[in-house]
Amino acid sequence: MKKTRLVLQRLWQMVPVLLAISIITFFLAQAIPGDPVRLIVGPRAPQSVIDAVRAQYGLDEPVYIQYFVYMGNLFQGDWGQSIAFRVPVLGLIGSRLIPTLWLMAGGLVLSTLVALVLSIVAARRPDRLVDQGVRLFATVGLGMPVFWLGLVLSTVFAVQLGWLPASGFGDSPIDHVRHLILPWVTTLVVMAPILIRNLRATLIERSDADFVLTERSKGLAEGPIFRQHVLPNSLLSNISLLGIVAVYILGISVVVEPIFAIPGVGQLYLNSIIARDYFVIQGLTLVFALLTMLCTLAADLLTLAVDPRVG
Amino acid sequence: MAGSSSVPPVHPLIAARLTRRQVLRGIVIAGSVPPLSAILAACSGEDEGGGGSGTPSTPPEEIVRGGVLKIATPYAVSTLDPIKSVAAGDIEVLGQLYSRLTRRGPDGKEILPGLAESWEPSADELTWTFTLREAAFSDGSPVTADDVVFSYLRLRDQEDSAYGGAFQVIEDIVALDPKTVQFTLTGPAAPFLGSTEQFNAGIVPKAVVESMGDEEFAKMPVTSGAWAVQEWRPNEILILTANTNYWREGLPFLDGYEVIEVLRDPTRVSMLEAGEADVARDVPWAQVEQFKTREDMIVPLDPSSVIYVVLLNNQDPVLSSPDVRKAMTMAIDRDGITQAVTFGNAVTANSLIPNTVDYYDPEATPYPYDPEQAKALIEAAGATGAQIEFLTTDIDDQATILVQDQLKAVGLEVTVNQVDVGGWWDSVVNGNYGAAVTWWYNEVPDPDPAVRWALCGTCGNSSFYTFYDNPEIDRLTEDALHETDPAAREELYHEIQRIALEDAGQIPMWYQPYSNVYRSWVHDLRMNPAIQWNMDEAWMDP
Repeated sequence: MKKTRLVLQRLWQMVPVLLAISIITFFLAQAIPGDPVRLIVGPRAPQSVIDAVRAQYGLDEPVYIQYFVYMGNLFQGDWGQSIAFRVPVLGLIGSRLIPTLWLMAGGLVLSTLVALVLSIVAARRPDRLVDQGVRLFATVGLGMPVFWLGLVLSTVFAVQLGWLPASGFGDSPIDHVRHLILPWVTTLVVMAPILIRNLRATLIERSDADFVLTERSKGLAEGPIFRQHVLPNSLLSNISLLGIVAVYILGISVVVEPIFAIPGVGQLYLNSIIARDYFVIQGLTLVFALLTMLCTLAADLLTLAVDPRVG
Repeated sequence: MAGSSSVPPVHPLIAARLTRRQVLRGIVIAGSVPPLSAILAACSGEDEGGGGSGTPSTPPEEIVRGGVLKIATPYAVSTLDPIKSVAAGDIEVLGQLYSRLTRRGPDGKEILPGLAESWEPSADELTWTFTLREAAFSDGSPVTADDVVFSYLRLRDQEDSAYGGAFQVIEDIVALDPKTVQFTLTGPAAPFLGSTEQFNAGIVPKAVVESMGDEEFAKMPVTSGAWAVQEWRPNEILILTANTNYWREGLPFLDGYEVIEVLRDPTRVSMLEAGEADVARDVPWAQVEQFKTREDMIVPLDPSSVIYVVLLNNQDPVLSSPDVRKAMTMAIDRDGITQAVTFGNAVTANSLIPNTVDYYDPEATPYPYDPEQAKALIEAAGATGAQIEFLTTDIDDQATILVQDQLKAVGLEVTVNQVDVGGWWDSVVNGNYGAAVTWWYNEVPDPDPAVRWALCGTCGNSSFYTFYDNPEIDRLTEDALHETDPAAREELYHEIQRIALEDAGQIPMWYQPYSNVYRSWVHDLRMNPAIQWNMDEAWMDP
């Protein structure tokens, strides 16, 4: 009951946020200097042709009118036309969403698993060599430029060793996995540190918490204390972080996808901004915003489900 | 006037064998579809005149059929309708999808029969009659005169026909019978015959376009060229298969080819090295040098019509002075920059039009490199310390940095402003810039569009938005368009090039070949200066 109400409430709260984002994006995108039509038909095309094509897309109208027309169409399920590719935006985004969701899901699961193992190992022996190593990895990973890391991985494992593909998404689920291993590893190296730093700190802090001292004084062994009390307790407070990491992965898809030529929405987002493909920018911004809010909602629901104290 | 003059040096192959009249009539090579061996023989003339193609042609018995060739390119495909775009990625593909009335020989210049097996101009060259060959579209329906009329009318008249300028000279076009088309021109137009080969003059099926509508046709068209569209995923991949109805018998050799859009240079290079692409377009020069030494790569360096220039905004208070512009030309070590940026793969430009277009003047000479005199000129013009803003899309652009340094050395203050491509065009078109290192290319061998784009002040693009305007050039441009005598036409274009260099409205930098790289299993593939592959003649090892 309570959960349903919470979900409905949160979903309802998304409406004004999405509306505000749609307005800001629409006017911002059109405020950037540059004409999508000149780029698409080619700079050599005469002005008369550019004007004619602008009119076909309604770009000759004032921006606020364009916005109302756009929103009107959007409520009827029409996301507009891509100016750069002259196809409907919804279909273009739809076909690109799958690879990005694969990238996000795999990246999140792998980052979480690696972060979990490394944090536990490090927190059990704070300041020892293992811990130092994990902390070093976390620091280096956080500072690692994604495009550089991706390039290095691709050069070594795809070009030199030929173990994995350098580009694309493949045609079957197994093929998808093969194509996504390098992008996942790239994501993992830069994303796991965010989780590690928080989880490790929480684990160490909770290891000295009052309830742990009580348990120690009762004579409980360190192993069970850690497994049954410290770990679950620390994980709970880090669940909300998973939502944030998922959103981060979505964000760096704009960088990761072009490196590995993955035909996802991240790559499309980048290209649409370069091409000033207004309605694709608009559609993708809404999709990204929606995904972001859904990820945080999912993390909150997960917390709600497993933590008896919240609710 | 025709025949009274010598044949211009730009047609060495033709000059050797044919009279101009024979070339115009297209009678020598006309007839039925040439046999395969003749096609291959026709492809083998490439080393004449230093064409410099890296792929020798192959005896027919050695050619292997089949395979799908993959190209990784940074250029986006935005439409599959031949008239809707003049952007690089589209030009490259549209020319492969649609056959035109004529086609170009391996040198990119010689005009050969295409869908028309022959043609005949009237004595005044105002009426041209084309006879079509037996040919079919990719759906099997025959190519008729009605289709040709329809294709040319939409090319000339449709308001969103992106590059219809060359076809406005067509006053009337009629189908005399199902296999004969007659064009009537508004006046003499030297580029007309060549324009029938232009990438956007491809023949489309009237019935299909009319029933599908433009929008749907542009996504999944019926074609007349060597390739049919299997699937197009915009911004990702265009998958083409051999058109079994293609009129050039026995071609293409490949089962298909794919155009994969990959924006980032390093990713295209990785794909090529990993064998995920057979051809990479626009490989950075540093890597080209590396690939030259490798056995498993081919670096053809086919000549392009790409010309690098420094645009100067002639409306800028400082750059409006011809002396300052002259001084800037003299201040820049054009040879040195060309060598440094392209690793010696380009030649320094001596004119302001591409060196692969007709009537390019190899004797044209810009002001020489002389920093001392440049400094003196700048001082005399009172421009020492004047500020010039260079516009660039890449703050690390080597040429811009070198030019900046050399201009500083003669007393100018140069700042660099970085914007993205969309912003760049916006600033340039509106004249909100000082100078910019950039490049352009010509889609056809005829110099008319090149001059209208880059040097003519009243032809719609304000001399590539330098706002340089010399009425003499504007007049010569129109004269040259209507001059049908090649020798006289050559003189007019040489005069235009001479005046443009003297006025220093912009600075010529270099002519560079295509920096495409192929895997060693790709054979007989070339790209001509008009950005057209001979993909129908290419083949791969199994």
